[in-house]
Amino acid sequence: MEYKSQKVAYPYFVIALFLFLLQVLFGLWLAINYFFTLPQGLVNVFPFATARAIHTNLLVLWMLLGFMGGTYFLLPDETKREIYSPGLAYFQLVLLVVTGVVALVGFVFGWTQGRPLLEIPRPLDFAVVIGALIFLFNVGMTMLKGKNWTVIQGTLLAGLIVLALLYLFGIPFYHNLSVDWYYWWWVIHLWVEGAWEMITAAIIAWILLKITGVPREVVEKWLYVELGLFLFTGIAGIGHHYYWLGAPKYWLYVGGIFSGLEPVPIILMLIDTFKHVKHRQLEIKNPLVWTYAVGCAVFHLLGAGVFGFVHTLPMINYYTHGSQVTAAHGHMAFFGAYALLNLTVFYYAIPKLKGIEFFKESLGRVGFWIMVIAMTGMGLAFGVAGVLQTYLERVMGLGYMTAQGEMRFWFKIVFSFGLIFLSGVIITIYDLLTLKPSVKREG
Amino acid sequence: MSKKAAFWIFISGTLVSLIILLALTFDFHQKVKALTHAENLSPQVLAGKWAWEKYNCNDCHTILGFGGYYGPDMTRAYWRIGESGIRYAVEKPEQAFANSFRKMPKKNLSPEEIDNLVAFLKWTSQIDTHDWPPQDRKFKLSSEAKRLVAGAGISVGAALFKDKGCFNCHALQGVGGTTGSSLDKIGSKLDKEAIARYIEDPSKVNPQAKMLKFDLSSEEIEALAKFLENQK
Ligand code: HEM
Ligand code: HEM
Ligand SMILES: [Fe+2]
Repeated sequence: MEYKSQKVAYPYFVIALFLFLLQVLFGLWLAINYFFTLPQGLVNVFPFATARAIHTNLLVLWMLLGFMGGTYFLLPDETKREIYSPGLAYFQLVLLVVTGVVALVGFVFGWTQGRPLLEIPRPLDFAVVIGALIFLFNVGMTMLKGKNWTVIQGTLLAGLIVLALLYLFGIPFYHNLSVDWYYWWWVIHLWVEGAWEMITAAIIAWILLKITGVPREVVEKWLYVELGLFLFTGIAGIGHHYYWLGAPKYWLYVGGIFSGLEPVPIILMLIDTFKHVKHRQLEIKNPLVWTYAVGCAVFHLLGAGVFGFVHTLPMINYYTHGSQVTAAHGHMAFFGAYALLNLTVFYYAIPKLKGIEFFKESLGRVGFWIMVIAMTGMGLAFGVAGVLQTYLERVMGLGYMTAQGEMRFWFKIVFSFGLIFLSGVIITIYDLLTLKPSVKREG
Repeated sequence: MSKKAAFWIFISGTLVSLIILLALTFDFHQKVKALTHAENLSPQVLAGKWAWEKYNCNDCHTILGFGGYYGPDMTRAYWRIGESGIRYAVEKPEQAFANSFRKMPKKNLSPEEIDNLVAFLKWTSQIDTHDWPPQDRKFKLSSEAKRLVAGAGISVGAALFKDKGCFNCHALQGVGGTTGSSLDKIGSKLDKEAIARYIEDPSKVNPQAKMLKFDLSSEEIEALAKFLENQK
């Protein structure tokens, strides 16, 4: 670690990891709700809806904290100066974590905005906005003072600003349900298939630059091409959510065509990662970091590219929309693209923060493979449940609960893989928090 | 490729897509009023939307296909179970789902909130979703059929007769298939009830019947029978 202020990233990482663990525990509880009959009394006080709000908000919270920590870690290195204000960075963390905890506890007592993924009540949204503004200010000032502009910095800053601006579309009370969902997707879709992709592309580019030593010119050129394709396909690709919500029919064409192309930049990112790793000019110190980087690129393609593509065309989406097929994709994509990205950053940054040059990676490797295999199994089990649901309920016309009865078995499989996944998460968190130097280079 | 060319790919790709989204968003706001019957968005419907959000219904039930997948989609709940069904589920979930392996929480809504919710779900049931969700189509005349009626000024039954493929086997005024009998004079042979009974399940009326049982709602059968009764 060259710059002192990089250490503000550490508490971000630790809290993010803890929230990740909690998120997974609530996920397991949700799966139990799916196959096990709970007593009415328990359902009255702690319904599925509350647990789902907690599961998904924990997800968003830990990922955003991970991005922020990652940004604070990367920034001094890119701008060649200390963070503008480490104090603000800590303050902003406390503000966001307190807001998050109040929101999560509030859900249990029925304090909610009541819109999926955007359940945080409106008064707390203002605290979130203030936290985001402090973050952007701190990041922006560091870059301005650094006067050392790079494409990576520009992309990162633009991605973060767009992320914050889009959040605003989720705050109003919309009168018309169709308009409501129209703008809900400006938050959700334009985040995961727009702003977050920009942030990911910038962070991955930076990590590849650091671990492979490939010239910056080359990395940044690829970055531009990827960004162009991500945004070209992703922005109008939002149409894949507008097929059936009360919008004009031309969205079937716009959404189908643009979102059908969305896998292209993801494939490009994978090729580009492989290429940089192949043409590396530095010896790779900790192979686990690039296992994570390559794993992220591969799983990004699987979860978002493949599992996204299979239900994105309107003639298929007509039958799969809002079924467990969506849940299969949601899990695979979030895990592949963003959970693995954050973990890549953690595995790159934490050893540096602890002053460890080569770390022992046997345990971390076990954690990686358990998580990757278990999530693949879980995604496939959700997928089978989804195909069953699609066929029984939507094609054959059986009643909703009749179809769910036939799907019950597959939720037991989801739960079983979930337990395995949990063990991988515990191993990974333990490993990250207790990294030890290895005497000689491993791998 | 030079870095400059890459930069222009980035700028032009982003701008083209952004302009498409913004232009279509403008157009969406022009058309959404008609597509969702925004003229029916009464204060009661809005209050119903508040209640829907206040009790976090959406994290178990999808609506327009968005939300939690734990319970059935609510877009067409009003067609599927009607006002009384909605009231029963919300007021007495412990009874309504006594035998279900999944339960719905009892949230103690006020009578007024329940009225509002019903109004909201009635409003959502008439949003033009291009016939989504597929599983709920059978509970209502398809929007294609309704459009045909509005466009041609013909009866609902006539539209359905065409829409559901009856012409594949039966003829009217010499137009249509020959597998089934011509139905020009059917109204003078059978009354409406008899026609309806036959359409509902041909093999019940005549075990030798070659005609299949079609997937039709009772509303649709009624409309078809009414139309055929007048073919004398
Ligand atoms: C890393 C990127 C991505 C993430 C994290 C992600 C995540 C999600 C999530 C969580 C949902 C469900 C939202 C809800 O209704 O609650 C969703 C829906 C959807 N996603 Fe993605 N997605 C990503 C990329 C993609 C890509 C690249 C495609 C297409 C090629 C795609 C296609 C879809 C479609 C069609 C739906 C709607 C499913 C439905 O109709 O129910 N996604 N995505
Ligand atoms: C043990 C592991 C997990 C289990 C058993 C689990 C289970 C579930 C269940 C049952 C749902 C509710 C689906 C519904 O609405 O009916 C859900 C939602 C969701 N979970 Fe998980 N989850 C787990 C881990 C994760 C992880 C690691 C991520 C992300 C990296 C994640 C992301 C999501 C998302 C985005 C949704 C909303 C999906 C949608 O709207 O389509 N979950 N989860
Ligand atoms: Fe999307």
